[in-house]
Amino acid sequence: MKFFAFHLMPWDRLPDDFAEKYDTAWTWLPNEIFDPVHGGELYNNYLDQLVLADQLGFDGVCVNEHHQNAYGTMPSPNLMASILARQTKNCKIAVVGNAIPFYDPPTRCAEEFSMIDCISGGRLIAGLVVGGGPEYYSFSKNPTFAREMYREAFDLIIRAWTEPGPFEHYGKHWKLKYVNPWPRPIQQPHPPIWIPGAGSRETIQFVAQRRFAYMGIPYFHMDFFQRNFDMFRDECEKCDYTADPEQLGWLLPIYCAETDEQAWAEYEAHLWYFVKKLLKGLVVFPPGYTSARSIAGIQKGLQQFMSTCETRNDIEAGGYAIVGSPDTVRQKLSERIKKLGVGNLLGLFQLGTLPHDMTCKSMKLFAEKVMPGLREEMNAALTS
Amino acid sequence: MKIENKTLNIAGKKTQLTILGEGPPLLYLHSAGGETEPIAFHHKLAEKYTVYLPAHPGFALSEGLDHIDDIHDLAWHYVDLLGELNLENVPVVSYSLGAWTAAEVKLIRPNLIGPMVMIAAAGLHVDGSPMEELFIDSFDKLRELLFFDPSSKQAIDYFPADTNDPRILMWLRAREATARVGWNPYLHDPKLAGHLHRLDSPVQVIWGRHDKLIPLAHGEYYTQHLPNAKLTVLEECGHMVPYEKTDEAAAIALDFLGST
Repeated sequence: MKFFAFHLMPWDRLPDDFAEKYDTAWTWLPNEIFDPVHGGELYNNYLDQLVLADQLGFDGVCVNEHHQNAYGTMPSPNLMASILARQTKNCKIAVVGNAIPFYDPPTRCAEEFSMIDCISGGRLIAGLVVGGGPEYYSFSKNPTFAREMYREAFDLIIRAWTEPGPFEHYGKHWKLKYVNPWPRPIQQPHPPIWIPGAGSRETIQFVAQRRFAYMGIPYFHMDFFQRNFDMFRDECEKCDYTADPEQLGWLLPIYCAETDEQAWAEYEAHLWYFVKKLLKGLVVFPPGYTSARSIAGIQKGLQQFMSTCETRNDIEAGGYAIVGSPDTVRQKLSERIKKLGVGNLLGLFQLGTLPHDMTCKSMKLFAEKVMPGLREEMNAALTS
Repeated sequence: MKIENKTLNIAGKKTQLTILGEGPPLLYLHSAGGETEPIAFHHKLAEKYTVYLPAHPGFALSEGLDHIDDIHDLAWHYVDLLGELNLENVPVVSYSLGAWTAAEVKLIRPNLIGPMVMIAAAGLHVDGSPMEELFIDSFDKLRELLFFDPSSKQAIDYFPADTNDPRILMWLRAREATARVGWNPYLHDPKLAGHLHRLDSPVQVIWGRHDKLIPLAHGEYYTQHLPNAKLTVLEECGHMVPYEKTDEAAAIALDFLGST
């Protein structure tokens, strides 16, 4: 069982009249709202939190990529990962991931990931993603080519890591006469690959066939994760192997305080800022981003999305976030991890407006009072 | 009125074609909205012409979007289709995405296209008059964008009511096929403006005064830069000319084609 601390690096100062004034926290939200001086403080706090995770004994830290939005102000996760490669000592550094259709040419991703792997002494986990729907607006990239660009970029990156260069790549979207990236990664044949997904069978099959790891896209109801992880295990069986729990990752917000009541009292306002403001506009499916039939299907799945929550009870019943005392958090996680059969827990410890000191306090409580026992218990359960 | 539905094989692409009316042939090239089933506007044209109404690849039951990467591929598809139908110098009535396509076909095969009616045509980037965002999800906002009177019955009936509406799949397909050729560059071909002086058919440009998707300045640009074009502006009309001004627009088109 592995424990990761995941960070979105959100913007915590949206105006009070945001709900009335803006339809979305994405793409079109005026960037005048971003105050660079405060932004600098936030970046440094957020990096400190991830360095703390390493010191507290987390197995890894996670950063990810989003553009032109308040939900995650990390357009270049590789910049953050390269800082963490120096400032952390032991933990894995998972970049989940680079939105490879936007890297031009995609060999840039192979190069930067290799740099991070070299600097960190082989601690990189390489996430390769399609990019979110809103990002196809932000980059004016044609979403009807999203899937084929992703596949082409993906194969090119793997080749760049594994095949001696220089070689030619003549694909539909990129034509490269000399592919020969320096440096090469320490981890051979290439760093472990994580692929996030929102439950499309096509992605699950792809990850299962290639024996990579599948990370469930968060903020859905527990039942939705269960369905997707079960589907993943079935697809692995179809490929004649049994899925390793470490091929599955479950990401969700976690907050730990001395008692249940105290945890909710400290956390709730920050959680609602996240749910009601930052999630607004995240779920956008530009034309052709996925098939018309899938879009119609996902619209139904959205009835099980966190932004439909209105009360603390909704959050708890759907398992959208785990909040409480160390005992409560451990007991709920234990139950659900066993049920889901996942070997990686990706905790989102900072969220929305949650201040630095409270984030650190929650992480310390989790690392000291939840993680060690849970790790032992899960290792016993998952291997039995 | 005589209506015939056909499925053609155009260079390997299954293509839906509806033919209505009687008289000399007329090609209608449809908009991003995908008016591929005959609407009142088509019926007006079909009183004088045999109207050929094909669905672009990816629209309605037409397939082959995999072989369309940009507006030029779409134009070559129509070169193939007109060859299959044995049509030359055919008059064209075209609307929005279709009007842009018609202009591109005329450029690469001038002999195939005769006099052209271009209604609220996409295809240009006009400095200072940006096109609004078409690829939004809210039907209420789309209604306001496209119609002069978003509360009119036409405007209400035009869109699927919600995601359970059986029309939703066709709607999503139409959006995807439009995005394929019109996402970036956004609904235009940067080279088209430089070619307009070569587009020497007689052209009747028709525009809604209150078009918010493609502002009237685009109609004025076409008219000024095409060698043989005239512009008619319809008052109290948005982008949805064939729906909002059915009789007026059809009369203008038929008068123009009758006089050329």
